[in-house]
Amino acid sequence: MYKILSRGEILAVHTAAMEVLERVGVVIQHDKALKVLADAGAIVDDKTKAVKIPEYLLQDALQKSPRRHKLMARDPKYNLIIGDGESYFTNAFGAHYTIDLETGERRLSTIKDLEEFTLLADYFPTVDYIKPHILPQDVPKTIWEQEMALAMFKSAEKHLSLVALTPEGWRDVIEMAKIYAGGEEEFIKKSSIIDTGFNNVPPLKYTKEIIDMILECAKYKIPFDISTGLLSSASGPVTLAGTIVQGIAENHAIVVLTQLMGPGTPIMWGSCATIMDQRFGTAAYGSPENGLIHAAFCQMAHYYGLPYYGAAGVIDSKVPDQQAAYENMMNALIATMSGADVVHDAVYGIVEAGVTASYEMFAISNDICGAIKRVSKGINITPETLAVDLIATVGHDKNHLNSPDALRFTKKHLLNEQWHPLISNRTSRPEWEKRGSKTIEEVAREKTKEILSTHKIEPLDKGMETAMRKIIKAREKKTKSS
Amino acid sequence: MTTSILNELKTAVIEGDSEKSIEFAKKALESNIPPLDAITKGLAKGVKEVGDSFSAGEVFLVELVMAGDAMKAGMSVLLPVIKESKTEITSAGKVMIGTVAGDIHSIGKDIVSTLLEADGFEVLNVGEDVSSEAFVEKVKEHKPDVLGLSSLLTATMPAQKDVIEKLKEAGLRGDIKVIIGGAPTTQEWSDEIEADGWAGDAVDAVRLVKKLVGT
Repeated sequence: MYKILSRGEILAVHTAAMEVLERVGVVIQHDKALKVLADAGAIVDDKTKAVKIPEYLLQDALQKSPRRHKLMARDPKYNLIIGDGESYFTNAFGAHYTIDLETGERRLSTIKDLEEFTLLADYFPTVDYIKPHILPQDVPKTIWEQEMALAMFKSAEKHLSLVALTPEGWRDVIEMAKIYAGGEEEFIKKSSIIDTGFNNVPPLKYTKEIIDMILECAKYKIPFDISTGLLSSASGPVTLAGTIVQGIAENHAIVVLTQLMGPGTPIMWGSCATIMDQRFGTAAYGSPENGLIHAAFCQMAHYYGLPYYGAAGVIDSKVPDQQAAYENMMNALIATMSGADVVHDAVYGIVEAGVTASYEMFAISNDICGAIKRVSKGINITPETLAVDLIATVGHDKNHLNSPDALRFTKKHLLNEQWHPLISNRTSRPEWEKRGSKTIEEVAREKTKEILSTHKIEPLDKGMETAMRKIIKAREKKTKSS
Repeated sequence: MTTSILNELKTAVIEGDSEKSIEFAKKALESNIPPLDAITKGLAKGVKEVGDSFSAGEVFLVELVMAGDAMKAGMSVLLPVIKESKTEITSAGKVMIGTVAGDIHSIGKDIVSTLLEADGFEVLNVGEDVSSEAFVEKVKEHKPDVLGLSSLLTATMPAQKDVIEKLKEAGLRGDIKVIIGGAPTTQEWSDEIEADGWAGDAVDAVRLVKKLVGT
């Protein structure tokens, strides 16, 4: 495990973050939330809407914020316990464009892309739960979140994290999730059948809409991730230390508010923060600084007893190339080795930092993340795996391919010891040439097409789909008449 | 003497040194250098150089912003004198820019403002969370050549469309060019809402504005 901060440094960061919370505060543009915070003992400036939060309020909230929680799936074999010591991976979030699988052209994303990427995420073993990979551009904005939720409900059996963009839209999605859970009562019992995520507006601000949606989560105890979105040297300090401090203050304001409104609501405490490249004014996610930020945030989350959710593995490169692969590997690996509970954006089927979906990159990243998961599993040390007796049996004259004992031993342990990539090439050169001397991008394209035509899931119950459609229709009608 | 003061003004801007910029702006006035010359042959030259270098990826954003600040510092000395003499300052064009209603993101729009200023545009940065009605009022009042609408949230993109429609209703749409930008926006969205253009980054935004005002 990679621990970047010493015990003393953790305390220094914590003290600094508390000072920011108590002295500078966080702007929350939501009067009801401010009143709840003020009643609890925070100091609210009615004019600026900045709330200053004393440390004891945070400590109370941390007591109530679950250290671990379940994410439930349509198929219970995919249920997860976030915070159980494993690093769980998700796919990427929110591409507006897609590199077309047939033509190779970059075009606007569609709802069909969302269904296909969700189906691929259901297939890829590295994806533990599924994020909305695509923000489709062929669906009216008034029913955007609803159509996206339905497309995802239809396309996977794993746990689904749905998009919350507007309070009305999110409330509709919750109604659809009730149907998905099997009714209102069932949903109350297993509201973690869905989750969602939010970012702040750095520095140190939250809009009314975001707070509305967070309060909706607190009402039902729907799990969500709260991730600072700051850019070092633009919306936060250039120093990575200062970045961590500001991010902690931003996230903690929501922990306090949520645990006041809905005690026990599961929060994945996270970071989408990275540096801004001062040469271009762009966010640089595939940077080593990004990995360092995750490592430090992860340690701080665990210091607070909260699961850490890091958006690590984002690719800046515009195409699925060598740069894309190293960026994805570097930061997803650092976050995993730091002990992140969720590595969001790990299996990154997107290029251009969240903008353009790439089917090929998704399959390549599935191999990258498979390798990371193998590294994370480490080396299993037991008397048996140390294999002294076997080494003695094989001795100096035989080997592990011609001794029956060794063959049995290899067969028994092989799948536990060795990981096998889906598309990366390890054949001999003649074999590689015989198979057409293909690059990984070509193999990824072929494999993706194959999965899309062969991977089948249990279809969503027709009655559920019809009931969800009704909710969407009602919203369409309402927006037209208003 | 004149040349050296103008050079110092240019250097002050390039170095992002606001104090030096003020000092030499005062010296320019004392030496009877026409204040317009102090701007066009001094301050503006410096900011243009930094702006060009930024576009080429050769200087950092922090240097560009500081150069912009140094230019404004020098201008604060020179402008009152120019106003007194009732001379007109010719700019490359007037651009109004703001973030739409419901959205409080500022950084992208501020970078575009700085780069436009570096290119000689007069920029009215009207801030964040600006309602469609407020945009219409401000357009009426300031009559910009170009209006830039920023949206960083998918949920606030419809507000860009709303501003354009409100401008039409007020009969102002024909008088100005409207451009849009922000992470979730696209050229296709720009076409759909009948904006005059979309830019994917700040350097591109300047190129777009120049094309639209024909400089």
